[in-house]
Amino acid sequence: MKLRYKLALYNLLTKAIFVAVFLLLMPYFLERVNIIQTDNELIRKREQVIDIIAEFGVEGLMADPANNAIGSYNILKQEYISLEKTETDHFWNFIEITQRMVDEEIIDYRVLNYSFMVDGEIYLLEIGTSLDNIYKTERNIRSITLVLLGLFVIISFIADTTLARILTRPLEHIAIKLKKTKTPALFDKNPIKTTTTDFKYLDRTLGELMEKIDQLFAKEREITANISHELLTPISVIQSRLENLISSPGLDQESAIKVNDCLKTLHRLKSIINSLLLIARVESQEYLKNESFSIIELIREVIDEIQPLAEDQDIRIEASLTQNFEVGNANRALLYTLFFNIINNAVKFSKKADPQKVEITTFSSNGRFAIKVKDHGPGMSPEQAKMIFERFRKGKSEDGYGLGLAISKTIADFHQINIKVETLQGKGTSFILIFSENL
Amino acid sequence: MNVLIVEDEKALAQEIASFLKNQHYLVEIATTGLDASEKIAVNLYDFILLDIGLPDYDGLDLLREAREINHEAAFIIITARGEVEDKIKGLDLGADDYIAKPFSLPELKSRMTAIARRKFGQNTNTIAFGEFILDPLSRKVTCADQEVELTKKQFDLLYYLVLNKNRALTRIQLYEHIWGNLLGDEYDSNFIDVHIKNLRKKLSEYAPAIWLETVRGIGYRANID
Repeated sequence: MKLRYKLALYNLLTKAIFVAVFLLLMPYFLERVNIIQTDNELIRKREQVIDIIAEFGVEGLMADPANNAIGSYNILKQEYISLEKTETDHFWNFIEITQRMVDEEIIDYRVLNYSFMVDGEIYLLEIGTSLDNIYKTERNIRSITLVLLGLFVIISFIADTTLARILTRPLEHIAIKLKKTKTPALFDKNPIKTTTTDFKYLDRTLGELMEKIDQLFAKEREITANISHELLTPISVIQSRLENLISSPGLDQESAIKVNDCLKTLHRLKSIINSLLLIARVESQEYLKNESFSIIELIREVIDEIQPLAEDQDIRIEASLTQNFEVGNANRALLYTLFFNIINNAVKFSKKADPQKVEITTFSSNGRFAIKVKDHGPGMSPEQAKMIFERFRKGKSEDGYGLGLAISKTIADFHQINIKVETLQGKGTSFILIFSENL
Repeated sequence: MNVLIVEDEKALAQEIASFLKNQHYLVEIATTGLDASEKIAVNLYDFILLDIGLPDYDGLDLLREAREINHEAAFIIITARGEVEDKIKGLDLGADDYIAKPFSLPELKSRMTAIARRKFGQNTNTIAFGEFILDPLSRKVTCADQEVELTKKQFDLLYYLVLNKNRALTRIQLYEHIWGNLLGDEYDSNFIDVHIKNLRKKLSEYAPAIWLETVRGIGYRANID
């Protein structure tokens, strides 16, 4: 899951929990607050009544003295007040919730009961306020709160996601940069644009890491090159000695053949070293890329080169080179080697193939010039196909030393040519080379 | 022809010397830069084979120095370094050719012959073999005044065999002469066999080519008196 979604989800979750707890506790607190407020109101009213009684006496309030009681509801039955004489001998002063039947309607009232003595008589005062209103208000507040909180959660989720996306954008940029980095040396050293120091730090650290890796690679290449150079002189000695030996008049034929076998083995050793050197040199950019030429002409030259061998084995090379491609910054000798290896390889695998032909076609791949070299040979398993560009991995070929395709891959990378292999066991193999526009 | 071999690897210098002596060259060896510098100051050489990777002397300095004293000589740089830059520098300093270790001795001879022809006007004579005549200057092969149409590769192959006449050339030697080292590891003996087969076919249209012999287990030889 993407970081920004995680952040947004986390925010959403904490907010949702907060809202849920709030909604759960709100009615209780609301009720408490309301009741306290109501009680205060009732007490204030009681004081008013007591004040009136103190001034005018109980009789002043009693409209009907015979009854010794008054009772009055206001019109909407929201409040009522009653005062009556009572026989009880203890004083009451408490507030409670009771239900009163008014006009066949049961209504919850908050009722203040207060008894007091005036002129030796005990009176009970009741002041009530309907809770109906309070309940309604509570319900309204609750639904408004619910809607507002819902809106808050949705809006903040959207805002969080957007903000997280903006914040994590540099991370995306770094990922793209890394993806583009084919070799550590090619890592884009321009710092990414961001105000977040963490990302700057990450970017800088990656840059440093790439530099370190590149240095290690350079060291490895240097070691390969040095070892190879050191080996070339002794090989040269042996080769010269054997060449002199093979043409010395006293040598019988059997010995000559053995000497020749030694020369063949020596040639193999030399080839391996030269190939490793070639790879190391290409990888450390020792070759220049400053020639302009037509790729099609180059391929035709390679075909001319291989044609006699193919013809000798009844293998047809069918070239349909309909598109041309002029390169401006390339190394002709290296590209020659690349195409020679690929096409020669295809011819080699076309022995006993059905049909015995190699097809070379040009086409466009997403607007880029591409070349396909297809044989109808034995093909490869996916595992083999994965390894063919690695050094010393032998395919089915018995004569190759497993470096031809490694060289090809190195040359292709050097020229930013994307080289791919498509193969099916028993169905042949295709090598596809996709050129970059700025070659 | 006087040849000076400047090579710190004694065994290699001796092998090259013994090969060139067989080819009727007069050969001297210098195994250090100092030794070479002294020899160049005293003697005149036609060819100087110079290994530029000397332990006691910068090979390119030696080349510069030698050219001032002995500017008639032809220089062939030998190196195990093979860096493109060295090659360019060497050729800029007036070396006539450049050969990378390990090289084959017939190849060295072929390079020296080419330089001798270019520089000293030697080996410009036509070479006759069987009923054929090969002209190295115009790169043409004729048979009874009729031109034999050969491809560039077929001519190179034939000339190489004729130049190293009566000597068995291995398939690898022939292959390397034609294709060099650049192709990397893809040595394929079939390449040479196919080209020799085609060459024989073409020559046989004009006259027998039995002098072009297959040496069993080794390669090919041009038997020419």
